[in-house]
Amino acid sequence: MLNTQTLLLAHHGTAGALLAEALALDIATPGLTRIVHLLVVPDFWDGMQGDDWLNNASTRDAFGDYVEGMLEADVRKQLRALEGRCAERGFACKPVMRQGDPAACLLETAVQEKASLVVIGPPRPKGTLGYRSRMDLEKLARGLHVPLLIAARAAS
Amino acid sequence: MIYTVKSSALLIIGILMLVWGGLNNSGAIDGMQSYLQKSAHSDHMKVKEKYDAELRVATEIAAAENKPAPDMKMPASKFDHAKAKQAQLSFIFGGFFVLIGLFTLAWKPQQGNLDYLVSVVPGIAFILLIAFVVRWGLDPIFGNWGKAVKAAGILTWDFAKIFNLNYVVIGIVIGMIVVNVLKIPAWAANGVRTARFFLKTGVILLGTLYSAAELAQLGGLSVVMIGIFVLGSVGVVLFMGKRMGTPNSMTAVLSAGMGVCGVSATVAASPVVQAKAEEIAYTIGTILIWGVGCMFLFPTVGHILGMGPVQFGAWAGTGILNSAQVAGAALAFDPTNIETLKVAEIFNITRVLFLPIIVLWLAAWYVKHEEGAQKVNLVHVVVAKFPVFVLGFIAMFALSSAGTFAPAGHYQGKYFSSAEVKEDKLLKGKEARAIEGELTRLREGEGAQALSKYLLDKNVVLEHHKVTPEEVYQSLSDLAANKKMMSRQQNEILKSVAKMEGLDALTAGSIDKAGKAATHDSKTIKAYRDWIAWLFAFGLIGLGMQITGKALKQAGGAPLVIGGIVGTAKAVGSLIVVLMFVKEFI
Repeated sequence: MLNTQTLLLAHHGTAGALLAEALALDIATPGLTRIVHLLVVPDFWDGMQGDDWLNNASTRDAFGDYVEGMLEADVRKQLRALEGRCAERGFACKPVMRQGDPAACLLETAVQEKASLVVIGPPRPKGTLGYRSRMDLEKLARGLHVPLLIAARAAS
Repeated sequence: MIYTVKSSALLIIGILMLVWGGLNNSGAIDGMQSYLQKSAHSDHMKVKEKYDAELRVATEIAAAENKPAPDMKMPASKFDHAKAKQAQLSFIFGGFFVLIGLFTLAWKPQQGNLDYLVSVVPGIAFILLIAFVVRWGLDPIFGNWGKAVKAAGILTWDFAKIFNLNYVVIGIVIGMIVVNVLKIPAWAANGVRTARFFLKTGVILLGTLYSAAELAQLGGLSVVMIGIFVLGSVGVVLFMGKRMGTPNSMTAVLSAGMGVCGVSATVAASPVVQAKAEEIAYTIGTILIWGVGCMFLFPTVGHILGMGPVQFGAWAGTGILNSAQVAGAALAFDPTNIETLKVAEIFNITRVLFLPIIVLWLAAWYVKHEEGAQKVNLVHVVVAKFPVFVLGFIAMFALSSAGTFAPAGHYQGKYFSSAEVKEDKLLKGKEARAIEGELTRLREGEGAQALSKYLLDKNVVLEHHKVTPEEVYQSLSDLAANKKMMSRQQNEILKSVAKMEGLDALTAGSIDKAGKAATHDSKTIKAYRDWIAWLFAFGLIGLGMQITGKALKQAGGAPLVIGGIVGTAKAVGSLIVVLMFVKEFI
């Protein structure tokens, strides 16, 4: 039987993440399982204005503030939404936000939060719109010391 | 926050530079340098042979006269100068980095300006070390390989030249490898961000190298080209976006990036048109992919088509989406001379001056098309987006025009001076007689007719008037009498006449020889050009370190489709316009 005391759920609001959420809430035990919601802001944002050299500092700052504000608002919305859904089903939920490589952040959080199970969504089908920032499954499989569950794709 | 990262890396870089300087000074690596600097070394061997012969003769004469052997010193060759320059730069920077490196290790950093200033030095040293390795090592190695492969008959063309494997391209590629494969070390991260400061400094200093006429001609050309292609591509993207049903904010941010100056325009326009995060990511990824691709492709196409600096600078300045890659392509095309960079940067400046106007246009467009869009303060946009460094460029141009840095006429790196023609560079009697013979022939019958026809057909113009046969006669007569060029005008007239078909070969050669003897290198400007090239190389390596594969991977969606169509149309369209209408006139 799976130990579901601390379930680490990688969730950033995509269709795949919603499938992962459904699976996580199905296998978790109310009153026992603590869900750690990991939301990763991909590290590609670091290189997004590096190449700009013509603008002055105030323009770059305005852009940085704008993007940060937008990402932060999105993160808050996602975290709050999942927290609400967990509360409805009687699960304790701890939101964790990280910035960096998704797989590296997940491995790090799994250790920090002493996760006993990790649940992620299926890889996004090719051609679907969204950030090009995929979870490196091989890195996860090699680095995780706890079971990893990948939600099945929705039947088309 | 404390920015300084304690590390011995800076000290090690400093020591490496000092060692390199010492090895050059002691002559311990002359063997390696003779391979790396083949042309300078061949000059060195000629100087040495001449010196050995003179010493032998002087020693024999002294021995015949029972005098002690003369004490002669070998004059410095280009090879000696090149080694001395490497040693000097290595000592200056190496010494500085060792001092700061020791200070960093001993000092307990405290929050403040000093901490920030110290924190950027290791990154600067890191880029400079790469710049040294690339410019003094890899650039000549690839150059030698290109020539060797051609000489061996393996290829019929010089691959290093055609693929522009020079210090600029190699430096950018190394920068990209560092950030994507090796990762930028934590101690260097802060300093790497100074790259844009050095690029802007390079542009400001470049302001000294333009004449008023050049600036007027290039400025006019760039306003027309940028006006047509920037406004054209902004308009086309807005139209395509509407037809493809893309969101207004995505269309607006994409049109800024595709139209004006790439990532810089996207950064400037995104908050104004309230672009979504994924729209920004798609747009910047698309622009970066196009920019990097064009930076490698454009110089090769330019060489194949035999373009000159004005044509290539105008094409790169218009056709390449991202402004950083415009500078990269211009230097990759013409790394030893900065004429192409001068042209391309005028285009970059024109683009950035267009930026506030385009942002205003897009803001107005967005407000009109998007319900609930916030109105922007027009004055605030113009003031916030105004590129202050352009004022520095203008100030340097004004100071240079006033003769602050070098005498007037020196700005192109070469200047005319009859008084400085050395005795041994004067024309020989045989050459003067050949000129007198041609003068007699050109004054009479068929010769006179041929000259008049040539001046008319070729439309030989000097200072806004057509050159007459009498001016040619006077110029030739003065050259034969003085055995050197006496004025710039005389030199210009005779340079045109030397190309005339049927002119005696010895006379044509003598005109060329006299012209070269009276044209001198301006040492100040030459050094200045070299410093500017270093600044750009440094800045571009640093910018290379900020182009991440993860950002490039974000290219996709509608921006990639629209960007592909508009980017190709802009590159091909501007190439056709440049080839048809832009002539080499500076």
